[in-house]
Amino acid sequence: MGTIAQPVEGLRRPNIASADVQIPAVTDYEQVDREIIATLGFTKKWLLGLGVAVAAMLVGASAWIYQIYWGLGQAGYEPPVMWGVYIITFVFWVGIGHAGTLISAILYLFRAGFRTSIYRAAEAMTVFAVMTAGLFPIIHIGRPWKFFWLIPNPNWRLLWPNFKSPLVWDVFAISTYLTISTTFLYIGLIPDFAVLRDRETNPMRKRIYGILSLGWRNSDREWRHFAKAYLFLAAFSTPLVLSVHSVVSFDFAMSLVPGWHASIFPPYFVAGAIFSGFAMVWTIAIPMRKWFKLEHYITLNHLDATAKVVLFTSLVVGCAYMIEFFIAWYSGVRPEQEFFWYRVFGQWWWAAWIMLLCNMALPMSLWSQKLRRNPTWLWFLSIFINIGMWYERFVIVVPSLSHEFEPWQWGSYTPSWVDMSFLVGSFGWFFMWFLLFVKQMPVMAIMELKEIVVPKRKHAHDGGHH
Amino acid sequence: MQGVLGAFHHLDTTVHAIEELKKARLGDVTVYSPTIRHEIDEAIDAPNSVVRRFTLIGGLLGVSFGYWISIWTGDYWPLVTGGKAIASWIPYTIIGFEVMVLVGCLSTVAGMFINARIPRLTTTVGYDPRFSGGHFGIFVSCGADKAPQVEALLQKHGADEVRREA
Repeated sequence: MGTIAQPVEGLRRPNIASADVQIPAVTDYEQVDREIIATLGFTKKWLLGLGVAVAAMLVGASAWIYQIYWGLGQAGYEPPVMWGVYIITFVFWVGIGHAGTLISAILYLFRAGFRTSIYRAAEAMTVFAVMTAGLFPIIHIGRPWKFFWLIPNPNWRLLWPNFKSPLVWDVFAISTYLTISTTFLYIGLIPDFAVLRDRETNPMRKRIYGILSLGWRNSDREWRHFAKAYLFLAAFSTPLVLSVHSVVSFDFAMSLVPGWHASIFPPYFVAGAIFSGFAMVWTIAIPMRKWFKLEHYITLNHLDATAKVVLFTSLVVGCAYMIEFFIAWYSGVRPEQEFFWYRVFGQWWWAAWIMLLCNMALPMSLWSQKLRRNPTWLWFLSIFINIGMWYERFVIVVPSLSHEFEPWQWGSYTPSWVDMSFLVGSFGWFFMWFLLFVKQMPVMAIMELKEIVVPKRKHAHDGGHH
Repeated sequence: MQGVLGAFHHLDTTVHAIEELKKARLGDVTVYSPTIRHEIDEAIDAPNSVVRRFTLIGGLLGVSFGYWISIWTGDYWPLVTGGKAIASWIPYTIIGFEVMVLVGCLSTVAGMFINARIPRLTTTVGYDPRFSGGHFGIFVSCGADKAPQVEALLQKHGADEVRREA
């Protein structure tokens, strides 16, 4: 299902179109099986990484137990700032998830060749990022055992959630997104589980892969229905991914708070989500290609193509920042004007400038082809972008709440150690799942890689037709 | 299920064998390939997948349910929120859309499972583990009377291995 476009010949510089990104060093199907399956072996480095991730996750888990025992007052909330690190981190992780669906669904519909090598890792990243994000509203409500009140369920008082509330839209959007992302990931994995089942020698693992592959046989009937189902899942996921972060942005934009009440929020949030998600793809994929010796699968052309997406989304996000300032000035609404001045020169000026530096200034380096093809620079840039995008959500949430209409309502906010433990724990939780994933399941789609490898032919130039 | 199985290492010879088997009408042909190949799809010329109907029905059921649950619950406890109508179609469209995607996707997967006939308990008859690796396979479901003809045809087209399955 990947592109079948051939490499562009005759170009003096390797600035090839994203649809034509190929893997020329991979020559046959057996090589794909051999090299991707080889990534599944346990290593000491992997165990060490998993240990660090589990330790970080336990930090967050301990903080949660502590907060449940002592109450939500242990978080750094102080009126009027009653949304803090939990909501910031929720929006951050939902955003991270978006690149996975963009790569696996939207770029699939657009037949972008560079997606093939990275989409499986990005899809898994989506599932784990949304799993992480989904924890934060539950943590934020303070009494997590009451969470099910948000879900419409028949109860003896026949009470139902308010479907006009953006918070209920969020519940629907995030739970649908998690379900569909997981389904999409699993459906794509079924043929690959069959490959693992047929190559595995350990009887226990062979049995597990056999169950997971659902008895898949690679028959023409299976492929025919699989291709159609995959196409429709991609077609559904495309508007879904755009809707999810739009709905998340409504949590803010539906209120009258200065800095939040803006109609630009949905596209601004979606672009930011794709921007941060691609950065996280780099954070994961660049070490992965080196440690798993997959440089000939995730080539510099792949990184170059993703860098162009990051550059474009950085420009969109930067444009949105500027439009926010312009609209505040142009609206003539005094509290808006006052707030946007406060955003960059007030109490939280440093957060706003970190955001502008990391999200607007540093990505401009990607105009240079040399830097777009430099994995070390891209990895460091991805860390800056992740920091910048977390601070973007900080800048949206905290300064707005701390500086609303009435001066006597203005206040401050300092995250507590419980807040920061949850932040650390969220990274531990995310990377724990991802590290477990990469050693149990193929980190690249074997089936789709084979699709772009030229199959063996007995007679040269025979497409298989008389 | 009785029949003859041929394993091929080359795409073009597989396609030629499929085309000739279809002309000869020696039995139902099942083709195995490690990945989707449009050359094989064209040679088989199978009808379009009906999964799309599952998608359509699931999507319509989902969107209907999403609107219905929002309107019915709003009507059951008629509290005016923000001066909006009890059945406000704009916010309820978000619920309708999300449930449409959810049910539409799940019914698509159900459609795929039903039509592809998975999950299945065994892969043994007419299957070889090489078909998930680097080989293409053709299984022709036929009785012992036609088996020699099928074997000859598969061998003529350069099958690496031809064997009878029962």
